[in-house]
Amino acid sequence: MENNMYLPFRSKIINIKPHTDIDYTFRMEFTGDVKPGQFFEVSIPKYGEAPISVNEIGTDYVDLTIRKVGKVTDVIHTFYPGQYLFMRGPYGNGFDVNIYKDKELIVAAGGTGLAPVKGIIDYFSNHIDSIKKFSLICGFKSSSDILFKESFKQWNPKIETTVTVDKEEEGYDGNVGLITEYVKKLEIENIREANVIVVGPPIMMKFTVQEFINKGIKEENIWVSYERKMCCGIGKCGHCKINDTYICLEGPVFNYIKAKELLD
Amino acid sequence: MGFSLNLTEFKNIFEELKKEYTVYAPKLFKNKGTYSDTNMVRYDEIHDIEDIEFDQKSHYSPKEVILPITQTLFYFTEDEVIEPKFNDKKILIFLRSCDIHAVKRLDEIYLKNGGEDYYYRRLREKVKFVLMQCEKSFENCFCVSMNTNETKDYSLFIKRKGDILFIEVKEEEFLSYLHNGKSEEVSPSFIEKNEVTANVPKDLDISIFKSPIWEEYASRCIACGRCNTVCGTCGCFTMQDIFYKDNVNTGERRRVWASCQVDGFTTMAGGHEFRKDKGDRMRFKVMHKIYDFNKRFGYHMCVGCGRCDDACPEYISFSNCVNKLNKVVKGEI
Amino acid sequence: MDINTKKLKKNAFRVTKERGKTAARIRVPGGHIDAKYLIMLQEIAEKYGNGTLHITTRQGFEIPGISMKHIPEVNKALQPVIEGLDINQISPNTGYPAAGTRNVAACIGNNVCPFANYNTTSFAKKIEEVIFPNDYHVKIALTGCPNDCIKSRMHDFGIIGMTKPQYEAYRCIGCQACVDNCKKRATGALSFENYKAVRDHERCIGCGECVGKCPTSAWTRSHEKYYKLVIMGRTGKKNPRIAREFIIWVDEESIIKIIQNTYGYIEEYIDKNASGGKEHIGYIVDRTGFQEYKKWVLKNVKLGAKAVMVENIYW
Repeated sequence: MENNMYLPFRSKIINIKPHTDIDYTFRMEFTGDVKPGQFFEVSIPKYGEAPISVNEIGTDYVDLTIRKVGKVTDVIHTFYPGQYLFMRGPYGNGFDVNIYKDKELIVAAGGTGLAPVKGIIDYFSNHIDSIKKFSLICGFKSSSDILFKESFKQWNPKIETTVTVDKEEEGYDGNVGLITEYVKKLEIENIREANVIVVGPPIMMKFTVQEFINKGIKEENIWVSYERKMCCGIGKCGHCKINDTYICLEGPVFNYIKAKELLD
Repeated sequence: MGFSLNLTEFKNIFEELKKEYTVYAPKLFKNKGTYSDTNMVRYDEIHDIEDIEFDQKSHYSPKEVILPITQTLFYFTEDEVIEPKFNDKKILIFLRSCDIHAVKRLDEIYLKNGGEDYYYRRLREKVKFVLMQCEKSFENCFCVSMNTNETKDYSLFIKRKGDILFIEVKEEEFLSYLHNGKSEEVSPSFIEKNEVTANVPKDLDISIFKSPIWEEYASRCIACGRCNTVCGTCGCFTMQDIFYKDNVNTGERRRVWASCQVDGFTTMAGGHEFRKDKGDRMRFKVMHKIYDFNKRFGYHMCVGCGRCDDACPEYISFSNCVNKLNKVVKGEI
Repeated sequence: MDINTKKLKKNAFRVTKERGKTAARIRVPGGHIDAKYLIMLQEIAEKYGNGTLHITTRQGFEIPGISMKHIPEVNKALQPVIEGLDINQISPNTGYPAAGTRNVAACIGNNVCPFANYNTTSFAKKIEEVIFPNDYHVKIALTGCPNDCIKSRMHDFGIIGMTKPQYEAYRCIGCQACVDNCKKRATGALSFENYKAVRDHERCIGCGECVGKCPTSAWTRSHEKYYKLVIMGRTGKKNPRIAREFIIWVDEESIIKIIQNTYGYIEEYIDKNASGGKEHIGYIVDRTGFQEYKKWVLKNVKLGAKAVMVENIYW
């Protein structure tokens, strides 16, 4: 079995935290090097594998927020703490926190796109002095889709946070409207220096990035994370390839200079 | 060193070789073609030299020997994963120059790109090549355009003329099998000219994505995936987990060839699909074969075997598409 | 003019509207013919007929406008065509020896068509070889696949090509082209389970569509060729109807034997007072009942293990 990258290891579910009806965070036993934005191939034998990004990293655990959207994740959602999932990874490049240190950082996340950047937000919320300014804009379909509600409470005083939902709702008095509208309103101190991370559904990323460019953010200061179908995570299966780039190897996090050339 | 042998003499050698090697070669499957009363030529284990189809291009490439169509990665029991047993008998593959070049492309992905693939490596390292002579360039071949018409990467070279076989031995270990053969100068003659030429444009870049030339393929292509399955260089796969009907607690994880032209190749859980349009899929495939693989690894992926053209039920020609791209780049269309 | 019209008709000529004029009928078993014979037919039409040629519904030719007195010359002129098409003849240069059993028609079959499961023309010729010449009124048509382009179900015997698709699960990449296609164009006999195709054998009609759609040749045709034999379809003034299934997954040899046996059955049961001595086989079966017919025609027939025969037919 030497060097067989396809063999998964067993990992115990430490606890499960539901955010919405379909988004649960699974805290999994894991020790080893891993960066926010990297992903694991999580599987239940006989059902299949799914690439899931890491959203929180502890000394002996990783948190994986898993949306119930398919065959594998449907079954994962029936699991309890103490049971085991199979995993391989971590794969991909992940976010490099050093890039954003001592500068202004804006994170714009749409829906589950918040999961892969949560590690970055956590990191700077705990090391707020190592960053000049941090703004967070999160968009969700509705108030019942909001993820990591408890984390927002921790982040909020330190990080300038905007949460918005797509449409007006009865009994909801928060922000309403698409992320792009809040990007327009956002006050950025140093447009030429500020870094921006945009993660979310393909259409949201496209328009949000454009909005930041319109505001004068330099392309080389924009970072995105791509989601693609992936079967192997190690540059073989070909599903995630765009042009000469393998999202699983060189991504999923890309500088926009590179990302803008990645046309499906 | 070269030898000539008659068929009977070679049969004895073949028997000896079979003790050490499992031999794969193109084989004629009578009445197993797509249409009634047509034949199929594809790779299979060979037990007799007479079973080797020397005269026709195989419909499928030899890749299935080292990259099985369905390959079990491991079995599951309740809480264990178990690797399948592995046969460590060495492998000989009879194949043509273009196909040897095609294996190099698979090696690039499976052995180098993002690390070594365990299952591929295990099979690949057992393989030795027997180069087959191309007496003539077959229909749709354009190996000369892709510089795959010649190779030095083989252990044995064989050509058959009636009942006489001419053999060149490049690897010493095979000399012992041939002690009875008549010494003779033998070396392959390679194809120098094909009827089809593919002019791969040198100044290609992704601005060609916007060219209207892809549009016609949206309506012509039926997304059947034959161009991928017959290709010697396509190596994409999809992972499948299954459980056994009679014991749902056990099952297996396997990988199976995938096609970038078939629906679902880019579909993520939840249903989002990145390349719905068949013209986009054609563009993705063509650009991979003659642009982005080269950008990443320094040589083109396509080896010009022409099997995709042979197989396309809609008569879409890959080489013609390449030539059209060349004209677009040159501003001729 | 003194002409024995009974003999004339038996010799494959026709009594036409125009007094003294006949039309020569040329049978082309299996509907496929070397083009060189058309030139001969052209010459006959121009020399003896009115210069025209009719293509018949049964894939023969009819040359109209021939003077009845020229029948012997026309028969001589037809000799190379009759020989070239391997028609059983009693004596040379006398034309066709019978006309009751009609030309054995066939769709283009696997000579050309990607859907066909066998060579319809060569099977048609084999049948012609054993049944011709014969005066009994029997119509046979062969079609390559269940699309039934020849409309074999309008004939006394319809022979529909089948294959038993062989599935090699190892070669299947799970693209589901076969499953989708079977649903859309055939009978929905295929489903998808554990990423591989699963066949409902009860529903499979052996059309071979799955083979045609498979990108890896996981599906291939069986070495054995099978047929669906449908019987006693007819047009006509009295009670037209389509043929019903008699035996499915039946082999070529059994079909030939059944057709041969049918002639013995006709001999036994034909209405001796039928007008013109001619009674269509379907009406005889109506009279004796299917069970009696079945008993006769299955004599010495050894059906293969896969053959499925119906107990009764209710037309």
